[in-house]
Amino acid sequence: MSNIPEEQGSAAFLGNVRDSLLETDKVKRRDMLGLFMPLVRDAAVDQFDQFQDLRKQVKGVKQHTLDNLHHYLSQFESEALDNGNQVHFARDSSEMNSIVLGICQSHRAQRVVKGKSMVTEETHLLHHLQRAGLSVVETDLGEYIIQQANETPSHIVGPALHKSADEIRELFLKKHDLGERELEGPTEMVAEARSVLREHFLSADVGIIGANALIAENGYSMLVTNEGNGDLCANLPKVMIVCTTLDRIVPRASDAMAALRLLVRSATGQPITCYTSFYSGPRREQDVDGPIETHFVLLDNKRSDILASDYREMLQCIRCGACLNHCPIYIGVGGHAYGSVYMGPMGSVLTPLLDSLEEAQALPDACTACGRCEEVCPSSIPLPDLLRDLRHEKNREKLTPSRWRLGMKTHAWLLARPRLYHTLSGIGIPVLAWLGRKKGSFKSLMLANGWTDQRDFPAPQGKTFMQQYAAQRKANNGSR
Amino acid sequence: MQREADTRVNHQKKSSNAPRFSVALYVTCLVDLFRPSVAFDSIALLEQAGCKVSVPSRQSCCGQPTYNTGDYDSTIPLAQQVIEAFEFADYVVVPSGSCAGMITHHYPKLLEGQWRERALALAAKTFELTTFLAEIAEMHVPIDDGTRLPSVTYHDSCAGLRELGIKAQPRELLKNLRNTEVTELSQTEVCCGFGGTFCAKMPELSGKMASDKLDSALATEAEILAGGDMGCLMNIAGRAQRLGKTIEVRHVAELLAGDLSKPAIGEGKS
Amino acid sequence: MAQDSARTELMGKLQRACQNAQPARIYAELNSLGEAPSPTLPASSLCEAFLINVLKNQGTVACTSNRSEAVKAVAEHLHSRFRTRKLVAGNDPRLAAMPWRDGAVLPRFGAAEHGENASLSYACMGIAETGSIVTYTGKSNPAANNLLVEDHIVLVDTATLVATLDDAWTQINKDQQESGRPRGINFISGPSSTADIEAQLVKGAHGPRSWHVILLGEIPEDALSNARNATEA
Repeated sequence: MSNIPEEQGSAAFLGNVRDSLLETDKVKRRDMLGLFMPLVRDAAVDQFDQFQDLRKQVKGVKQHTLDNLHHYLSQFESEALDNGNQVHFARDSSEMNSIVLGICQSHRAQRVVKGKSMVTEETHLLHHLQRAGLSVVETDLGEYIIQQANETPSHIVGPALHKSADEIRELFLKKHDLGERELEGPTEMVAEARSVLREHFLSADVGIIGANALIAENGYSMLVTNEGNGDLCANLPKVMIVCTTLDRIVPRASDAMAALRLLVRSATGQPITCYTSFYSGPRREQDVDGPIETHFVLLDNKRSDILASDYREMLQCIRCGACLNHCPIYIGVGGHAYGSVYMGPMGSVLTPLLDSLEEAQALPDACTACGRCEEVCPSSIPLPDLLRDLRHEKNREKLTPSRWRLGMKTHAWLLARPRLYHTLSGIGIPVLAWLGRKKGSFKSLMLANGWTDQRDFPAPQGKTFMQQYAAQRKANNGSR
Repeated sequence: MQREADTRVNHQKKSSNAPRFSVALYVTCLVDLFRPSVAFDSIALLEQAGCKVSVPSRQSCCGQPTYNTGDYDSTIPLAQQVIEAFEFADYVVVPSGSCAGMITHHYPKLLEGQWRERALALAAKTFELTTFLAEIAEMHVPIDDGTRLPSVTYHDSCAGLRELGIKAQPRELLKNLRNTEVTELSQTEVCCGFGGTFCAKMPELSGKMASDKLDSALATEAEILAGGDMGCLMNIAGRAQRLGKTIEVRHVAELLAGDLSKPAIGEGKS
Repeated sequence: MAQDSARTELMGKLQRACQNAQPARIYAELNSLGEAPSPTLPASSLCEAFLINVLKNQGTVACTSNRSEAVKAVAEHLHSRFRTRKLVAGNDPRLAAMPWRDGAVLPRFGAAEHGENASLSYACMGIAETGSIVTYTGKSNPAANNLLVEDHIVLVDTATLVATLDDAWTQINKDQQESGRPRGINFISGPSSTADIEAQLVKGAHGPRSWHVILLGEIPEDALSNARNATEA
């Protein structure tokens, strides 16, 4: 049994930001990611003539689905039961974990293989099962790497993208019995992981996977992978468990197809992944393979609260990771700095909603309102607006430091009195201009240390525009 | 209405015909305080484009800083103040993409009822400077005043780029009016790290982003980095000063007006 | 009991947060939202568009006009890759009826085992939009045959080509009316791959390292050469 990676908690975000900027190699790799991923996404989107129409249609269907989630979830449940599944509901992480452990124990399972699932990251299922004495192996290569390294994902699509090939080689040398083999490049490392994980697939009692969509009209779940690891988990062991959340529901297969078109292009720039699979339940009478028993475990974990809140649009998220790849904050500091399961813009909205605003209060500030995330979000989620609304809530609940709150209030008070404001700025600005006239900028400035920590403060040109303009107007009137 | 009429100043050239547009200039607080020449250049350009320009005196800040920190309550009176001071105008022109975006995109989100209606009406006639000059005033005749611009690269500020679609307009104006082709930055869609209060709340990260932007500007070997938003420009200029990098940072209005006599942003009188 | 109460509580919360319209109204609203657009196909011929996208998906292709040629194409692939004549194939009547002797191929019918080199699937259909092949799990194509082998060879009848993912589901729904819902439906669009190490694409992550598609039937003469030109450019 491995140790549970230490949870940093998003409270430590500001300190993590500083630390992460000092990791020179990682900064370089992240910069490459920030350059490369938008290029592949743009290329894929450019090839799709009606991409914006597709986005609009999917958004409409998503909103409709959320508006009628009770209906569609009931429909999915009934179809899934008809298909021979057992359907479980979990209010929170611990309920999901106990349900899954219960299923494993009822089959006296020893070995579990897992496909990639952010939901199980959210509930820390792996460690729950391990603590109960089960052998659990993550089979997505990225997840496998971070499981070996005892780390958490740094990206919701590419969990190990923060690691260099050298680091992964070192890790495999330490964890695997490699003999004389040296694992030169990624190809050799992938082959090594393949042979180790193949043994796990063949001997596992239970396979756990996630779902990219749950189709209400026919009870199928959709699973999207490039590696095919999820399919091995879903087909080889005798028991299959799908762990997912309510917000994956779509009404029809055609809606899953529309979402798929958006998802893959936004995530990796492909038109489709190598494996897109739909599973309905246990093996049929005439089947020669497949699980004998299948379960859906549907987690709420505050989704129903979010549904009833002003943040409902966040439930449209399809977990493509495009907002991460396009976010200057995420690219700057990396996923681990967020100290939470979800990161980047979607994580900065979701974490305060799933944990608490108090614990995650630094995250809504991790935004320059540049709007690039909203621009590329396939589900058209207004992420900057939601982040600002969270800051609004922070402000209302007095979580924002008082110097900021009172500073802003005083500032606004003065601005709402233009005459007084112009009088005061007309006194202060010329003084500041005079002080800075030679150098043109200040190395430090009272009340602006946040600014001058990193950059000089440009000095004003002279009198304010309003002063100069009034003077000019007076002169013009006089000369007339 | 008396007040607005009072503040209108006739800047028209004596020879020209009746003005084609009546424009109220929203100066923006950063231009008012730090770079008044940008407002004078804006007025000059608007007048050359055949506009009659007024500058309402009851203007201060559009409320972006309070709004972005989440203090909606304090922002509402500021938004109402801007609406009251500017709704008389045929057109409102703003030499800043983010302030124009605040008025056109965020006031209607912030306000309710009658005020929302008034915000929408104001939004419909509010334009960022280069958009107004290129698309409404259709300014495209070269300005022959003997000024030759050095090589220029352009920073697309985020709000302008994404909220208002400002991309082609400044480039077309530089080409048509000043025969100047912009040398493009790599990753021109990426934020410079200003982000209003963000730069003070997460200074190290903001500094890294400003450095990245500065590096790509220096890589173009252009002599001037131009842009349409004082916030971004002060951020990049301040970072350049701190790191001792030399590139002139200027508002695009200065370039279009041929006004290169004043020291660039953050530079002293030499 | 805990689970029953979780269900009740959750459904109650959803009900309170939802509009709770009558199903007829819900579906009317859903239908009013229109159909999602699909991407333009890279060629007007379905065969050519399908071939282009299979090649883009890192697949290899062969075009054959009859079953004898198809068997020979299988033999050729097996020989060039493994110097073997053996493969595993599902208990699909269409595969059983192939003229195996024409290519001296020795199929074993059943589910693939770990260590086998190659499997052969007869696709239910091919999707031009994405260059995917579709299989249903079951006796005729055990899931292991898609996953456990080094090379996955797939026969696709030109008559079963469809244009889009939506067309594929129309056909799947039709098939289900006749024979019920299969346990698994697999859209396969390339060899198993990963980019989890420094974002470098590596083939053969867990499943097949290579994916060979043999198109069978009436194929426009220049479809393959056009497809190769389109993907090489």
